[in-house]
Amino acid sequence: MFKQLDSAASTGEVTIWLEGHSHRVPNTFSVAAALLWLEGAAGYRRHVDGSNRAPLCMMGVCHECLITVDGEPNRQGCLVPVAEGMRIERQWRAL
Amino acid sequence: MSETRMRHAEVAIIGAGPAGMAAASRLAEAGERPVVFDLAQSPGGQIYRQLAAPQVGEAVMGADYLRGQALLTRFAHSRIDYRPGSRVWWAQREGQGTTLGVLASGKGELWQVRQLVVAGGAMERGWPFPGWQLPGVMQAGAGQILLKQGALVPEAPPVLVGTGPLLYLLAWQYLRAGCPPRLVLDAAPRSRYSALLRQPLGTWHARHYLLKGLRMLVALRRAGVTVKQGFDALEAEGEGHLEAVSYRLAGRWQRVETPLLLTHFGVVPEPQLGRGLGLGFAWHAGQQAFVPERDVDSLAAGPGLWLAGDGAGIGGAINAEREGHLAGLSILEAQGERVGEERASLRCARARDLDARKLLDALFRVPEGWLAAQPEKTLVCRCESVSLGEINAAMGQGAAGPGQLKAFTRCGMGPCQGRLCGESVSRLLASHQGASMNTVGYYRVRPPLHSITLGELAASPAPPSS
Amino acid sequence: MPQDFLIIGGGVVGMAAAYGLARRGRRVTVLDGHDGSLRASRGNAGLVWVQGKGSGMPRYAELSLHSSETWPEFAEELTARTGIDLEYERRGGVDLCFDAEQAEALQAEYRALYASMPTLGAVRWSYLDREALLEHLPGLGERVHGGTWSPHDGHCNPLSLLRALYAACQALGVDYRPATPASEIEATGAGFTVRTPGGTFTSERLILAAGLGGRQLAPALGLSGRVRPVRGQVLVTERLPQGGRLPSPQIRQTASGGYLIGDVLEEVGDDTGVTLETIHQLGERAVQIYPDLARARLVRTWGALRVMTPDGNPVYEASRRFPGAYNLSCHSGITLAAFHAEELAAAIDNDRLETAYGDFSGARFDVQATG
Repeated sequence: MFKQLDSAASTGEVTIWLEGHSHRVPNTFSVAAALLWLEGAAGYRRHVDGSNRAPLCMMGVCHECLITVDGEPNRQGCLVPVAEGMRIERQWRAL
Repeated sequence: MSETRMRHAEVAIIGAGPAGMAAASRLAEAGERPVVFDLAQSPGGQIYRQLAAPQVGEAVMGADYLRGQALLTRFAHSRIDYRPGSRVWWAQREGQGTTLGVLASGKGELWQVRQLVVAGGAMERGWPFPGWQLPGVMQAGAGQILLKQGALVPEAPPVLVGTGPLLYLLAWQYLRAGCPPRLVLDAAPRSRYSALLRQPLGTWHARHYLLKGLRMLVALRRAGVTVKQGFDALEAEGEGHLEAVSYRLAGRWQRVETPLLLTHFGVVPEPQLGRGLGLGFAWHAGQQAFVPERDVDSLAAGPGLWLAGDGAGIGGAINAEREGHLAGLSILEAQGERVGEERASLRCARARDLDARKLLDALFRVPEGWLAAQPEKTLVCRCESVSLGEINAAMGQGAAGPGQLKAFTRCGMGPCQGRLCGESVSRLLASHQGASMNTVGYYRVRPPLHSITLGELAASPAPPSS
Repeated sequence: MPQDFLIIGGGVVGMAAAYGLARRGRRVTVLDGHDGSLRASRGNAGLVWVQGKGSGMPRYAELSLHSSETWPEFAEELTARTGIDLEYERRGGVDLCFDAEQAEALQAEYRALYASMPTLGAVRWSYLDREALLEHLPGLGERVHGGTWSPHDGHCNPLSLLRALYAACQALGVDYRPATPASEIEATGAGFTVRTPGGTFTSERLILAAGLGGRQLAPALGLSGRVRPVRGQVLVTERLPQGGRLPSPQIRQTASGGYLIGDVLEEVGDDTGVTLETIHQLGERAVQIYPDLARARLVRTWGALRVMTPDGNPVYEASRRFPGAYNLSCHSGITLAAFHAEELAAAIDNDRLETAYGDFSGARFDVQATG
């Protein structure tokens, strides 16, 4: 869904674990941005009503980017910068 | 075990966008050491996001983005207690100052602040249409954030829809990045531009903005990007994610397949902090938004409380910087400094800029009757999945205000606590009752202004017993 | 033709009375305050509760028991009429104690209360220690001493209840007027005239169900205006998977999944704000009760004012000076909703309020009140 421009500034990378698979991502990315880059919007999250949802605003307002980071559920992925060794799990269970 | 440990700050600022940075820098220059609480991990707010280590250059972004570097540099080199990753979840006026509950890196802090500058900024309007909750529908600001944060652009040519300068800016930036949009749909009809002729003074003041916009439009047209104006209905379609967008133009429905739709229906002040502090808000007909009440000259919203930037009314980045500067001067004046001359020139420039804004507001008005005309299946509250039909039913059953509507339908009770649905709900009530937005009012905003866990709350310092 | 009844107040008490009277074929108009008024109906925990009610007034304990027995039928009928689910459950409830002293005091109170009247012998309850409570409250923290369990207790969604009452009243032809507060009430010979910013309304009889608004309106009608605000503060969490725990006054999980944490009593006048001190304490207590909630996100707090009569027990009274004027005040409008919609409405309709419920008149507070 999203790709990086060739002209992107070079920046460091970190290894994150998404659903048990490791990925190298630029260290300027938020968790939500990393997910959109790696896997697109479809399948980001399952909402309490059972519908599929994905980030809308990327700035902490919409709360659609909720995701489990290092075991902590319902973190706003757009406000959490990726970090080395971070473990990310989607929230795929409706209530 | 929690201990009582109240931290004190003579001056604190919430927000590190242009307003927050300007206020902090000016105060630091005068010898203060302001504390700056920033929700983000690095300064810049939204407009200057990632600017300390930009991922994309002027060739894509244009000059305005890079222009913020001077402010960022000044901020970085000033004696400021900058606190990134800070969630200000509690803010309460106490006598002469404000008590703040702040969560940073999972640890709670309690702050007593004498002078507080609130510079929390703006957000994009939540603007419901059928299917807006589908993955693949994002706001234009989100597209810009991805661009700034990681030089991320859509893989396939996207569809951009809405109205407002950001719509064209993003389209132009994508074009310069080599991924021109597939289609740009502007809700503003062509006749809107006759507003230009009716406000010659505003046009003159806004000439820089207008010329910039014109250049962007010309570039898009030259590159063959399809720009259509005057759509009046929109629907996002797909099973589980966006597959196509339908829109109505001149009475005819058309459809375009796309995995990504970027929408923009204007920006409004982000309300939680101001409303949480108990500030009065009034409906600004020109901006079509609730705006907090403050003194027009001093920017004071109460003793020891100052509002600066887009969070207090949409004025753009340059205006926000000026207001931050002005708020800083007001604080210095309250401490006995003489600021008259410095303030006078700022005020002059600000007045001209705000005149220009009025024209932009008129050019990019969002269609007032939009929401009430949507299909009943349209979600108004995304968090609690409350449709327009349910809200209409509840209003029909006697829910006559935002609080009662919330009680009847759960709209506004979800994680975003009304940020995306609040204005919509007020609009629906106003339309239903034939009342003004000021009469209808808005949800009551309560703490926490950002969610915190019960564990974090329990582990926070206990406030001193009164 | 004037209405049979004007009801001042569109909260859960006023609307239950309106519903009850409309079901009996009466023509009813409800005059309600503003969206931003003190609205106790939007600020309660949703308990449909029996245990512990009526210390010092056994008649009230009896009333609570009776209302709880008729609640299932009341809920069913409301849902049948409106399609609105009240999320009502009656699987029992537990009032929690945190130390032995508190446990002893509570048990002593209950023993005395339930021995005070023969009919109250029907109230089943027992004190369970922490181990025994685990069956009802899985994941109960180690710092809880125990609690009084009773099978009569239950809970509902008080907002759904309110909405269902609105919908049912509308379907029954009740004339509901929002943002139409009473500025002046006059007893004419033939009935009552109420002046409001939205016009003048007349009726044969009048019911005050205005919560804290009764303070201003009641005295002029020869009715007791002696209610005072008692604030409660509540924490609300994000929606979480159902934990299968019985409700408590201290904490309960709603059908949609959020936990409500509260049970605070503060005398602060008309202040519906929240305080950092109290919400901090509530956070600490929540985590003590269910340690797994340490990870739960707090999304909202609120403060609300209970309508508290001098002894905490309901006031149901008929004016002697102005026959046809009635006053209803209580803080358990949810539990008593079934009673309000049925027996109380009938008693008012037949003008038998004093005969049937004389114990509840406000005269019990004012030595001077004669009529």
